[in-house]
Formats: sequence, C-alpha cells, structure tokens
Amino acid sequence: MTKRRKWTAIPGLVALAAGAVILSAYSGASSSKNSSPTQPIAFPHSVHVGKLGINCVYCHYSANNSFDPGLPAVSTCMGCHLLVGPDRPASDLGPKRKSAGIQKLWEYAGLAGKPAKPIPWNRIHKLPEYVHFPHMRHVNAGVTCQTCHGPIQTEDKVYQYATLNMGWCINCHVNGYDPKQGEEMVSMVSDGRGGATLPAADRAAAATPDSLRKKARYDCSVCHY
Amino acid sequence: MSERPVNDSKKKSNVKRRDFLKILGVSGAAVSAAACSPEPAGKLIPYLVSPDETVPGVSTYYATTCRECPAACGIIAETRDGRTIKLEGNPAHPLNRGAICARGQSALQQLYNPDRLRTPLVKQAGTWKPIPWKDALAMVGEKLADARAKGTAGNAVFINQHESGSLVEFIDQWLAAFGMKPHLSVEFEADQATLEANRRAYGVAWPRLNFSAARLIVSFGADFLDGWGTSVPQQLDFADARTNFQTAPRFVYIGPRRSLTGLNADQWIACKPGSELAIAQALLGAMGHRTGTSIAQAATASGVSAEVLTTLANELKAAAPSMVLSGVRTGDALEVAATVAEINRAAGNVGKTILPDEPILAFEGISRYSELADAVEDMRGGRVPVAFVRGANPAYFLPASLKFDDAFAKVPFKVAFATQPDETVEQCDLVLPDLHALENWGDAQPVKGTLSLQQPAMDKVFSETRSAGDVMIALAKADPSAARRFPQADYRTWVMEQFAGGPRAFAAGLATGIASGNMSVRRTPGARGTGTAPALEQASGDYYLVTYPHTLFGDGRGANKPWLQELPDPVSKIVWSSWVELHPETATKLGIERGDILEVKTAAGTIKAPAYLYLGIRPDTIAVALGQGHRSRAKLAPWNPANNNNAQNFLQWGYGRYARDVGVNAFDLISATTDAAGGFVWTGTKASITKTGDHETIPSTEGSARQHGRGIAQAATIADLLGGKVKDEQEPLLPGEAPHEYLRGMRAPVAADAQGEIGAPTAADSGTLLGLYDPRNPLGMAKRRWAMTIDLAKCTGCSACVTACYAENNLPTVGAAWQNATVYAVHKTGYNIVRGREMNWLRLERYFEGADDAKFGEEFEGRFVPMLCQQCGNAPCEPVCPVFATYHSPDGLNVQVYNRCVGTRYCSNNCPYKVRYFNWFGYGESDRPQYAFPEPLNWQLNPDVTVRGKGVMEKCTFCVHRIREAEDRATLEGRELIPDEFTSACAAACPSRAIVFGDAMDPKWAVNQHIEDERAYTVFKEINAFPAVVYLKRINHPSPLTASKA
Repeated sequence: MTKRRKWTAIPGLVALAAGAVILSAYSGASSSKNSSPTQPIAFPHSVHVGKLGINCVYCHYSANNSFDPGLPAVSTCMGCHLLVGPDRPASDLGPKRKSAGIQKLWEYAGLAGKPAKPIPWNRIHKLPEYVHFPHMRHVNAGVTCQTCHGPIQTEDKVYQYATLNMGWCINCHVNGYDPKQGEEMVSMVSDGRGGATLPAADRAAAATPDSLRKKARYDCSVCHY
Repeated sequence: MSERPVNDSKKKSNVKRRDFLKILGVSGAAVSAAACSPEPAGKLIPYLVSPDETVPGVSTYYATTCRECPAACGIIAETRDGRTIKLEGNPAHPLNRGAICARGQSALQQLYNPDRLRTPLVKQAGTWKPIPWKDALAMVGEKLADARAKGTAGNAVFINQHESGSLVEFIDQWLAAFGMKPHLSVEFEADQATLEANRRAYGVAWPRLNFSAARLIVSFGADFLDGWGTSVPQQLDFADARTNFQTAPRFVYIGPRRSLTGLNADQWIACKPGSELAIAQALLGAMGHRTGTSIAQAATASGVSAEVLTTLANELKAAAPSMVLSGVRTGDALEVAATVAEINRAAGNVGKTILPDEPILAFEGISRYSELADAVEDMRGGRVPVAFVRGANPAYFLPASLKFDDAFAKVPFKVAFATQPDETVEQCDLVLPDLHALENWGDAQPVKGTLSLQQPAMDKVFSETRSAGDVMIALAKADPSAARRFPQADYRTWVMEQFAGGPRAFAAGLATGIASGNMSVRRTPGARGTGTAPALEQASGDYYLVTYPHTLFGDGRGANKPWLQELPDPVSKIVWSSWVELHPETATKLGIERGDILEVKTAAGTIKAPAYLYLGIRPDTIAVALGQGHRSRAKLAPWNPANNNNAQNFLQWGYGRYARDVGVNAFDLISATTDAAGGFVWTGTKASITKTGDHETIPSTEGSARQHGRGIAQAATIADLLGGKVKDEQEPLLPGEAPHEYLRGMRAPVAADAQGEIGAPTAADSGTLLGLYDPRNPLGMAKRRWAMTIDLAKCTGCSACVTACYAENNLPTVGAAWQNATVYAVHKTGYNIVRGREMNWLRLERYFEGADDAKFGEEFEGRFVPMLCQQCGNAPCEPVCPVFATYHSPDGLNVQVYNRCVGTRYCSNNCPYKVRYFNWFGYGESDRPQYAFPEPLNWQLNPDVTVRGKGVMEKCTFCVHRIREAEDRATLEGRELIPDEFTSACAAACPSRAIVFGDAMDPKWAVNQHIEDERAYTVFKEINAFPAVVYLKRINHPSPLTASKA
C-alpha cells in the first residue's frame, strides 16, 4: 500500500463505519424487530386468542386504563387451568394428551408440591426508558393491539412485530392511524407456514381517505420527558 | 512528528499499519455492532395473585400521618406498584391543609435509607451478630424477668422519640405490666420554656397562633417559620396574613441572630443574647404594668437604642390586637416566655391572636430535658438494670459535657428499637429493627377534636423488620403476668381497639386520614424549682455563643437524608457542612475570611469549622447550627460505595453514610444546664475564636448575596401598594418577525425556527395550518400555555419546594464524599457543589438588600426567590442548540429532550437565568460509584420521569409528566381539563402557597388572576425572553421610625 492509498483507505474505512452506524440507526436495523426469545412456558397466543377467542384485556387487564398493559397473575392463568390440567382425557375436544406447558404452570402455581413462584417471562417489547408510552391512550383511541404487536392471534411463539423505532411511531402520529388496516390485522389467520395471512374476503378495496385517519400529537414532549 | 526522518517513520509504522487497519476494521465493526444491538429487554415478573384495588402503573394514594416532628401533619403517600414514591400534604387535614415541609418529604429517604437495619443484632464480645427474632425476644424476656426478680425493674429507663397519639399510652401500659416506670418521651427541639409558660398562662401547651388577626407581630427569637412549634400551619397562616394587605401585620424580630424567620421580618432588633427579658419587661412596663425595667434600662442592657424600643412600645400599644412570641433559649427563657404571655394578656391578644381554645396538642406529654438528665445520672449510678431506646438519639444530642456515653455503658442491658444505626444504637447490646412510620400503624392528636390516623403506605421494605409495638406485645405475651394485659394479636389491633369508636371508626377514617374525637393525653407535670444555668455574662470568652437547632436537621435526625444535606440552608445557603456564623465587621477585626477554619472554644469543649460571614448577627456574637457532626465510635475508613454489604459491615457507620463525618457537632460546645422549666439551655455561654490557619471553600450554592441592581427579587412598601404605585407600566419589546398575532396573553412570540416548518411536518399538506403550533390545529396542543406565578410576599424561603422537586423529578444528590468530581481523589463532602455540579432544577435564591457589607447595621432585608426554568416564550437556549434537543413545545414549554441532547452545553451558556444543569458524572447510573440512589433509595424514583444519564443537560420541565398525566386522565374520562385540577410538585408542597401553576390561555385557571396582579413582574424583562414564570413583588412594612426619617 502506498502512502497515498493509505491516507484514502483509513478515512474511507472510518467514513464507511460511521455511515453504517448512521444507516443502521435510520433503517431500523438497530431494532430488535423479530426477536423471539424462548419463554419459560411455551404459551401459545394462537390457541388462547386465535382459537378460544379470549379477549386481550382478560389477561392484559390494565391496557385500557394504564401506561402499563398488565401481565396476568399466575392466579389468572389458574382460573382456567385448575380445570384444564396437564392431562387431557380423550373427548370431543381431541385425543388424550399431556401438556408439558400446563404441567410447568402447575409447578409455578404451587400445585406440584413446591412453593408457588411467579413465572419469569422474557420481555420482548421494550421501549427505552426516556420514552413514555401510554397504552390506554392508544387502546381507547381504537388502535387494535395487533397494529403494533402483529397478528398475535396466529402466533404460536410471540415475536417483536414492529421496529418500535421513533420513525415508526411518528409515521402513525403524523399520517394517522388507519382503522381499516388495524381491523385487517385482527382478521388475519395463520397461513400454516408460521406466518399470517388475510382471508381473501377481508381484503380492502380502496385506501382510507386522509380525513378518516386518526392523527395524534407528534410534539417531542408528548412522549419524551 | 513532521521533523522526524521519513525513513524512520516508515520503518516503524510499516509493520504496524496492517495491524492498525485490522484493528480499525474489527473495532469499527464492534462499535457499529454495539451501537446497533438494543439493550436487553429483561424479565417481566407477574404477581402470583393480583392485589385488589391496584392497577399496574397507576398510583394508589394512602392518607397517613407524618412522624418527622411531633406536629403530626397529615400526608398523602403516593404508592406505585407497591412502592411509596412521593409524599404530599393531606388537604383534608386541619393542621397542614395540604402543605408539607422539606423534612416531612424526606421521610421517604429514611424509609428507603440504604443504612436501614435489616435484621435483629446482638453484640457479642464487642462484635455484632445477627440473631433470630425468637432468640432476641427470649433474651429481652429473660432480662426483664431477671430485673423483676431482683426488684430493680422500677428503675428501668425507656427513652422514646416523642410522638403524639396512643403510642405514649401503649408504652406506659407495657412498662407498667412489667413493673417499670413511665417512659421518657423525648423531643430535644421542643421549647420547654414556652410550653411551660403557655400552660401557666393559657392552660394549654400550645395555643393556635392566629396570625391573620394580628396587626403587629413581635417575636423574641421565636422562629415560627423554621421549626419552632408547628412550622407548616404557622407558615400557612403567616403567609395568608401577610398577603391580606389591608390588614397585614408588621413583623418585628428581636434577637441576636437573624434566623430564617428573622429574615422574613420587616424589622430586626439585634439585642444582646440574654437581654430579651429586659426588653420584654420594658415593653410590658410601657403597657402600664409595673415591671421595674424602664425603656432606658432595657436599652442599656440590650445594646438597642432607646428610640427603637420606644417606637416599638408605642406601636405595640397602638396595634390591637398584636401577637408577641417568645422562643428564646437562654437561662431565663421561662421568665421571658412568662413576661411575653403577660404582654399578650395586657394587650388583649388572648382569644384574638392567641387562641387557647383551639390548642395544638402535639406537644403534650413531652418529657423535660431535666428528666432525661436525671435518668442519665441514674444510669451513671448503676441503678438502671435495663434501658430501652426507640427512635431518639441521646448519645448524639446530649451535650458532651453530660458524658452520656459513660453513664449508658453502666447499664448492663440496653435494647434499641431503631430503623437505622446511630450513635446510641451503636452502644446498645441488642438491636431490634423497627418499622418506619410509613410501614406502620398508629394515630395522633394534632389539634383538639381531630385525630390523625397513621396507616402503612406500603409493605415492609425489609422483611425481617418488625414494629416496636408488635415486639412489645410479643414480649408481653411471653410473660405470664403481663400476658393478660395484652390480649391483642398485634399493635395494629391494639391501636384500633382503643380508638374512639373502635376498629370500625378507625377503618372509616382511613380514607381521609382523619377522624373526629379526642384521646387521653399524658400531661407533662408542672415544672418546679429553678434552672441551673449561670448568668450568661459570667461565662468566660470573647463572644456570645448562639446555638440553634438546624431548620432542616432539627436535633440531628435529618442529617442522614441526602435530600436534606443537599438542600441549602435557607439562610446561609451552605450544604453538606457546618459553619460558624460571624459578622463581617468581627471578621475584619480578626482578619478572618469566609472559609477560614476557626477554632471555637468554650468551657465545655472545642470545635473547628469554617467561618461564614453573615450580616444578620451581632458583632459580639457568633452562632453555630446543630445537627451535623455525626460520628461513629470506631475510627473508620471513608465510606466506599463498592462495599455495600449491609449484612456484614453496618453499625460501623455512625448515623449512616450520608451523615458520617459531615461537619461538626455543636453539642460539644454547650454545657448541660437547664432553665426554670427544665428545658435545655442553648444559649448559655460565651466562646473564644481563633484562626487555625486552615482554609476551605465552603460548599454553597450561592453566587452572590447581592442583586447588583439586577432586580431579580423586587419589593415594594405597603404604602406604595395601597397607594396604587406598584404597577410596572413598561411594556416589553416584541422582537423579530415571529408569527405571534394569534397568541393570546402570556404567549410570547416564539422564535420562528421553533414554530415554523420544523414544528409542522405536514404543513405543506394541510394548507394554511401551521401544524401543532396553530391553535386551530384539531390536535389542540397550542390551546394551552403553561405558566407559573410565585408570590414573593408569601414565600418565606423555607425551601420545601426544592425538596419536592428532588423527590418528584429524580434529581440526584451529588455532595457525598465518594461522588466527587474526581472520584476518590478528593475525599471531601460537598466538593462537587464547590465545583458547581449540583443538580437543583429549582433553587431558592436569597438576597440581602440594604445595610453595609462591612459595617454592622440592622436595617437590611432578606429576599427569597425560587428560581427555576422560566420556560421562556422567546428562549435564548433554544436557537443555540445544534441538535434541537431544546425547543419550544406548542403548549408553551421549553422542552429538553434527553435522548437528543449531545451535551454541548451551549444552552446553559446562553441561559440568562442559569437554571440548566449538566449531568457530569452519571449520578443516575447504578454501575458508577457516584450513583446517587443506592439500593433501596432507588425504590423512590418516580417512574414517570426519566432517570438521566451522563452527559445530558437537564432542567425544570414544569412537571410535564403531571401535565401529560392530567391530559391522559381527562381523555380517559372523556372530558377537558378542569381548571386547577393538578399542579406542579413545588406548588403542591409549598407551605406558604406562594406558587400557583396553570394554563395562562384559559382565564378560568387561578394563575391568570396572579399574572394580572399589580405586583407582577418578570425577571430580566429587558432581554425579552418572555418568561412563563411571573413573580409578584414582596411587600415590606417599614418601621414608623424609618418612615418618619425618610
């Protein structure tokens, strides 16, 4: 390498690295989108929400009145699972089966001879601490849970659906939330290959006009304080 | 580099170049990878069973009773997700009516103090060992049975920190069950002389003081705004009275040192210490009573001119009604208090300004200092078999000359019920960790007819702590003869059963924290005999020594709370330190400068502390505040935050890490003498001072004590106000071409760069709408303009707002020795503040007006200005930020976006008010030794407010989280904001109701009336920053003497 090439290569590489950092920050690559940690109990939202149709706020009980959506207490799970135990006899619901997940739940609930303890769920969606996200404002404005959390009714294992980056937030606050799109997310069904798809009948024909989109304040101090 | 031979450089770098490139490549990738990987999300731990009536992320509020001083104010504890995060006054409480002082708010830092005791401990062969509760109780039971068998139980001593309420009765019943005598209910700050004189003159220990009826207030050293009596209600009433201008009382303060209360007075009469009696008698003489002291004699004795005293006497005769108060702590304090009571009677004040029919009952049942001194002598004589101490710290606050430590050591078995180690706990044999008042049950009687209830605001912080009441019941149950006296399961049951109306009434009252009723109060027996204090003039020494309980630390119990250590003393503005006050004239004479270390010597002892030159003290007097100088008995290495293992190394810290080795203990200087009421004599000796030659920069938040003509704290006289000559007519200039036509009222022109395209990403799409900044924008943000008014005629400088801000906004304290700028290199408390690193978003500035800095003069006034971010409409900080981290929000806030800030600090440089604070050292980051919230102090952090990291600028946000919370609540309930439905943390705490916060765009908010007040002004109006903080001028009532001269 000649001296001249050296002086172009080093700053060039530095510029490349800097560019990569900046690009990744703006592209969403810095997001933990799609992260899907393994949970202590393989809780299938697809069964509880998709198949059984349990309302989201049955378990996430403060999503409509607090910043914090709430996480079901172990006793909430046991409300059903005291009856729906790990051993299911053959019936019209299906063949005889043993559920390892419910067995684990019983252990956490203290039914397996050991003292009860809470389930240490791995957190998936987390905003930085300088962001204040009021769940209740969004839920009460009619934003469907699936708009941000994805087609949760089809997910056997939950993953982070959105980037949760600021650009993603602002996009909705400035351009407005499209109620039709939100409803579509709710109607999605499993495509059988681990993804979700919209039943053909529900596909929207035309785009929502600007006047029907719900806009929100996008001032910095609405979320950052 | 360039002069080096080329060959050489080539030769050397040839090999390294490849390495360099490799390293660059790898590290570049690592940096970008690190920058991109999101922080780990952590765990989500649910409840096992969700508790009733709580919503995660939504606060629950519990009404309970403050126990930081005997007054027993009502407080509301805000509890979020099981942790109490904020204390505010209870608006329904008859005593404090929603206000709260700095000491009360700091109760949280005792609850979460990292030095709290966590398990019972026993001293074995000089070292402390954890012991199970069962064994600890058995040990106490055995010793009690032993004492009873020997017939010495009657000599046992129980010292309790005074609390009004049924605990007094409970402890006495328990002691009686074991054959022991009633306990000592100790309150070292209590003014025994005034209590005794009140009982003799009015039949009650503390009549309510009705400031609004008075036309003239004369205080003989009664510091009713800084801790004398019940300071919060007194402050509320005083501020109210002073701003009812047609009838506002003039206030004259008589004393050798001008305290915070003195600085709030219109006139200071600087009498010699100990001469108050002569003045009081002369005034009484002037009222027509025969006292044997003429004005001329009083003038000679006190060093005050006869003209001043005659004027005062004439004023006193003319003012009807007046209010005369005594709070002197000299050897003849009882005589002064009695004379003052006579003056009140002669002037017809009783029933008008002094209301014995509405007594404050918090001070009933306080034991005299002389009883405590007698108990110490019993201990010294070896007659005491068992001693119990709960809450009180006599080893600290008893003067060294009493030699408490030696006497206490003669007690064979000493038990402490304590929340945290202190000088007394350290000397005990068994330590039983007590619950904090916020975890415990109880009751109190603050005023006649109303009971104040105390309930836990949260579960115990440490599971192995137990309430002293529960422990005592358990002990009684284990004893065959005492068991039948205590059938109740626990102390809570006991409190509820004996409550007037029973458990049902108690539970019904818990919602508001109060219940009507009266409880039996243990009366303090009348004082007999005379005091033991010798005449002040006979003491040897060059200067009178005035000692006084510190406004914030009281008798020392506040010193372990970093909020109080970091809160500047309201008078001297000194933090994390002790100081010796002397007049600049004296200092010049002795060649002393501010910060010179002085040795102060009295017959009783010696201290060394830096000199603070203060205008408000007589040249023949020096003063030292009490409350600092907590020590551990063992010589210890400085506290190291890395060594945070409380299970092993606690009890070696004196009064905890924040109090240890800060300042000096002025109790070392005082001889143990009493006045005729059996009260402790604080001002009873003289001292000599010598320069040691050492010097230090006193940690202080003060820039200059003078305004230099800047008009920050403005004032007017009452005559001008009533004559309509106060209004400031000059209109500010409107700058530039900012689009401000549609902006009403306080809304100032906003700099175009904060209001134009940048504020409106969709401006192009929406035609003429200017985005969020246009009031016509349907999102409605620009409908409001948040603003604040601060009434300087009400503000007393007490600084409760500052602590409220620390508590609300997660402000770190930075003054502990280990938090120093160069961590560990300079191990000195307060050094960060010497370097200007404090983070007080809201500071209380104190200025002196009048008098000469070099020559003694009584005629100067103290002015107090709470200074916070002015939320300027045309903010100088905004245009200079290169990254738009600070900008103007549509609702009129000057916003600081932490995640945008890159720390250039240009904004602070350009701020004319100097209210921006830079986080230099990561005080909010738990992995740093300078972390300000060591576990479990961090439990107090407000989850609504970001804990700022290193390298960002921060400042007052106008409690934007409270604004957003109120907006969220209103939206949730489908309504608009109700005028005055919420307020900022400082305004909520303010015990003089000087701060009003609200929306200046909506005339229904109270703040608008104050903005339009004729006294309104803004600081530095000439620079056209258009602040949203409006001050109302202070109003002075000059002496008729000054008025006639002028």
